Order: sequence, then structure tokens, then C-alpha cells
Amino acid sequence: MGDIFGGLATGFAVALDPFNLMLVMLGCFAGTLIGALPGLGPINGVAILLPIAYGLGFKPESALILLAGIYYGAEYGGRISSILLNVPGDSSAVMTTLDGHPMALKGEAGRALSISAVASFIGGSISVVLMTLFGPLLASVAVTFSPGNYVALMVFAFASLASLVGKSTVKTLLGALIGLMLATIGIDANTGVPRYTFGIPDLLAGIDFLIVVVGLFGMAELLHLVEQQVKGHMKTLPVDKSFVSMADIVKVRWTILRSSLIGFFIGVLPGTGASVASAVAYGTEKRIAGAEGAKTFGTGDVRGLAAPEAANNAAAGGAMVPMLTLGIPGSGTTAILLGALLMFNVQPGPLMFTQRPEIAWGLIASMYIGNVALLVINLPLVGIFARLLTIPQHYLTPLIAILAFVGIYTIVGNPHDLFLITLLGIFGWFLRKLEFSLAPVILGFVLGSLFENNLRRALSISGGDWSILTEDATSVVLYALAIIVVFLPVWLSRRARRAAAD
Amino acid sequence: MADRIFAGFLLLVTLAYGYIALTVIKAPFQYDPLGPESWPRILTLVAIPCILLILWKPDAEPFAVAKRTWFRLVLMVFLLFAYAELYEPLGFILSTVIFGTIVALSLGAPRLGAVGFGLGAGVFGYLLCVTLMDLNLPDGEIVEAAFDLIEGGSD
Repeated sequence: MGDIFGGLATGFAVALDPFNLMLVMLGCFAGTLIGALPGLGPINGVAILLPIAYGLGFKPESALILLAGIYYGAEYGGRISSILLNVPGDSSAVMTTLDGHPMALKGEAGRALSISAVASFIGGSISVVLMTLFGPLLASVAVTFSPGNYVALMVFAFASLASLVGKSTVKTLLGALIGLMLATIGIDANTGVPRYTFGIPDLLAGIDFLIVVVGLFGMAELLHLVEQQVKGHMKTLPVDKSFVSMADIVKVRWTILRSSLIGFFIGVLPGTGASVASAVAYGTEKRIAGAEGAKTFGTGDVRGLAAPEAANNAAAGGAMVPMLTLGIPGSGTTAILLGALLMFNVQPGPLMFTQRPEIAWGLIASMYIGNVALLVINLPLVGIFARLLTIPQHYLTPLIAILAFVGIYTIVGNPHDLFLITLLGIFGWFLRKLEFSLAPVILGFVLGSLFENNLRRALSISGGDWSILTEDATSVVLYALAIIVVFLPVWLSRRARRAAAD
Repeated sequence: MADRIFAGFLLLVTLAYGYIALTVIKAPFQYDPLGPESWPRILTLVAIPCILLILWKPDAEPFAVAKRTWFRLVLMVFLLFAYAELYEPLGFILSTVIFGTIVALSLGAPRLGAVGFGLGAGVFGYLLCVTLMDLNLPDGEIVEAAFDLIEGGSD
């Protein structure tokens, strides 16, 4: 316990540094803005702005604080377009449209926005407190992990990814494999042998992480926007004067608490982020509300609005836990943050809490501040963000391209990278079109070398005997969890179908 | 159908990937049981069944993109390539003004708005990135040459 307070003190010393404090505010503001724009979610926002943040030459903790602010700010802002436009910023905000938009249609847009802001705040705060308690604990367990345990952990991560993300298990797995394959390009660090470089000098160091991220997310998103292009202005509902009342909060207090816990734990599961969390929380609340809930959910029930919002913000925090403590990101966006850390030569993982406490704890402390800042920014300024929703697509689209180009060009000033991101954008657009989700690709890409190196290290220890992978209890438990996470949803849906047939 | 074509393409890439892992990649000497070629081989072994499963049971919705949408997409990709090609020769300001204006126009912005957007993005973008944030953006070979010419002329 003493360690935690000591750590928090270190963290707040970093986060309250005036420059970092400004970055938290800036990140939260920019994040809310990005989240509020229809079609641009947290993952695309972080992807497009990452190279620019990198190019600014900040210290690692400052850059990470800025990016994390953008990340949870965007998670926070996603609800604005969901409620006012019925267009979710990304998949984690889909559930918010179900009850949020009907409320706005009833003329309660202000109430819907403020309730969801409070729900998000509570969800985010609960998750950051849980993170403070569990993070160091998990890290202290993870320090003892052997390479064999890490291999098992990766298998578990990819299993839960395949089972819980995207429509098709096979496609999610294949997406992760594409990422893993892309990660093998370049010189093998153990032997110095070039792999898949085809003699091209640019490929010797591997494909730059930033290029993959901006290409697959930013540019693919841009092509998606061009494809879905909506003519003229979308119709935004006005923000009225209605506001959240004490009675509302009392009514949804248990909903928010339950959803925050669900969100946090789903967020912690490697590979599954806010979108799964908000869907599960919404479903749970609807089931708890029973027959009466079946009628009101989907027509503007405050519980149906509070649940997914509390859950997706809690999940955003939860997803940070495995990233900081194990070096395994809990979602696509945290995979990008992990890549960002690696670019700053910071190896995330159990040792980070002891070796680079200013980064690990600074980030956690900045999330406490960010949460409060978001609530303060969001309650009075929501009208301004709502007005931004009306930025027409025909200006937003070229703006994304310009930002992406600026970001990529400033890394090394190589114009060939600009072609590469465009090509990767086309590839990413095709993947999306064929219902592959892109988050697994980036997860595979980021985790590729960690996975491979641990496997090789484990087998070096055992002298080539593969049984080392299953010989200790931790690994066996993780493999068992991997099997459960794959087969439990299948079994549950079978049972539900049988129950429905009876 | 689109699913099958894409899976077929992935299969070819994966087979080539596996072939290289089996034949080309070799460490001159190594002490570890797993060399640089083992991991790609494992990936190939896992990927091929996944691809075959998609080939056998494709599940994507039909690839419905209207002709006009295709046109818009191809135009956008072409503009992006042109932007990338002209980024250094014309410099950030000029290329962004042109790119921003044309894209905004092609996506249906009003004429004056598109020009205003292009000019704003180019000029303010440059000032913001270069002066304020100290990022490295191309001045443009043509612009530099023009400046040289003017300075040269004034001597």
C-alpha cells in the first residue's frame, strides 16, 4: 500500500508539472474534439496525431500523457455525435446511440449529454482507482514471469482477441497473423539475418510502426469517409437547456457502478477494448431491468445511456493495465500507445513501475487529472463541441490527409513514406470492407517481436525441448483460460439457442 | 466472392512467405534451437488453415460499391499519390493549397469555400507546424529556386 502512495506521489509530481498539466488539458480537449467528429474515433485520432506528437520532441512521459489524454478524451467525446447525430464516432460509441439519440429526439439532448458526461466521469474514475490498486500488484506478479509464461500469455491474448473482437474468429486471427508477419520484416535481432527485405535498404530496420499505424488507421479511415460520403450537412439536434438532475444520478448509480466494473475487467482482458465492454454492459443492464426494461430500453432510458458510457470509459482505463504491467496492450488504441513507448525506447512491462516510475505513475496520475478536466471541459462547453459536428465532410476528409502527411513526413523527411501510407491505407480499406477488424493487425504487429523472442528464449533455456512451454502452473492456467475464452461464448450461444428453442 | 479473391491473394502471399522461410532465410551459424526461419514457418502453418477456412466458407457481405463511389475512391487515391509526388518539389504550402482545394471541390464543397480551405490549410498549417511547433516540412524545390532567382536578381 505504501508503495502505491509513494508511486502516486511520484506520478502527481510529474503530472502537475505545468507543462505536463497543459498537455493533459490539451490532449483532453483535442481528444473530445476528435471523438465528437462523426467517423473519427479514438484509434484514428491517436493514429493520426501520434507522429506529430513524436515529431515535437517531448520527453517520453510528456508525449505519452498527451496521447493518453487524446485517447480517453476521444472515448469521452464519442458520445456527443452518438447522441446528437445518431452517428457513432467509432464502435465503442455504438451502444450510446441506442438510448442517447431517442432522448435527444425527445428534446432532452442537454440532459442526455450531461448524464453521459457524469457516467463517463464515474466510469473513468473507478477504473483509474482500480488501475492504481491492481497495476502494481499485477506488475509484481509479472516480474516473475518466465519466457515460457510470456508465450502462454500471448496465446491467451490472441485467443481472447479472436474470440471477442470482430464478427468472425478466423478473420480476427488472420488479421493478427498479418500483423505478426509484417513484424518479421527486417533484420532478425538475434542473428543479424535479414528477413523479407528483398535487398531494399529501407526495409532493413523493419516497417516503421508509425507508417503502419497511420496507413492502416488514418488513411483507411479517410478512404472509408470518401466511400460513405454524405452530401451536404448532417442534421444535428440542438443542445437544449435541460440538465442532469440529482434524481437522475441516484436512479442510475448502481447501473454506473456495475457497468464501470464490467468495463474495467473487460478492458483488462488483452485484446478486448471499449466496444466489447459497452455492448456487454448495455446487455447486462437490459437483462437486469427485466420486462419493464425491455419496453423502455432503446426509447431513451437513462440507464441504457449511462451503462455503455460508464463501461467504455472504464474499459479505456482497464486496457491500460495490461499494457503498463505486462507490455501487452488491452486494445487497439493501447497497442498504438505501446508502440509509441517503444519508439521512445521505453520497454513497457513489469519493470516499468520500478525502472521508469515517472512514466508509469505519471501516466496514471495524469489520468486522475484528465478525468476531472474532461468533466469540467465537457459540461459547460458541450455546445461548442456540438457545433463542431457540423464541420462538413468535404473539409474534414482533406484535413485528415494533410495531418497524416505532415505527421509522416516530419519523422525522417522521406517522401517515399507518403506513398507507403497511401498503399497501406488502400490495403486497410479492403480489409475493413471485407469485415476484418484492423485492431488485431496492429496488435499482432506490436507484439510480434515480443512473442517470437520469448518463444526463442524459452526454447534456448530448455535446449529445444518444447515441453518447457507447458511445464509450470502459470502457463497451464493461461492455456486453460485461452481455451475457456474461445469456447465459452460458443457454448453460451448454443445454450441460449437451445433455451430459445424449448 | 470478394472474400474468396482476397483469401486467394493472401494464400499466394502466405505461400511465398512460407517458401522464403523454408529456403532463403538461414543463419550462417547459431547456438539456439530456434533460428530466424522458425517463427515465420510457424506463422505460415497457422495462417494457411485460417485462409483455407475463409476460402471454404466466405462470409462477407457482397462487395457492393457503386460505380460512382469507385470513381470517387480512385480519384481520391490518385490525388493522394499526386500530393505525395509533389510534396517535396512544390513544398508544403503550394502542394497543400492545391490538394486541399481539389479534394474539397471534388467532395462537393462550394467553390469559394474550397479555395478558402485550401489556402487556410496550406498557409496556416505551415505557420503552425514550422513556426510554432518547429516541425520539419518541405519548403519546396521550386519555391527555393524562385527565392534564389529573386535574391540573385536583386544583387
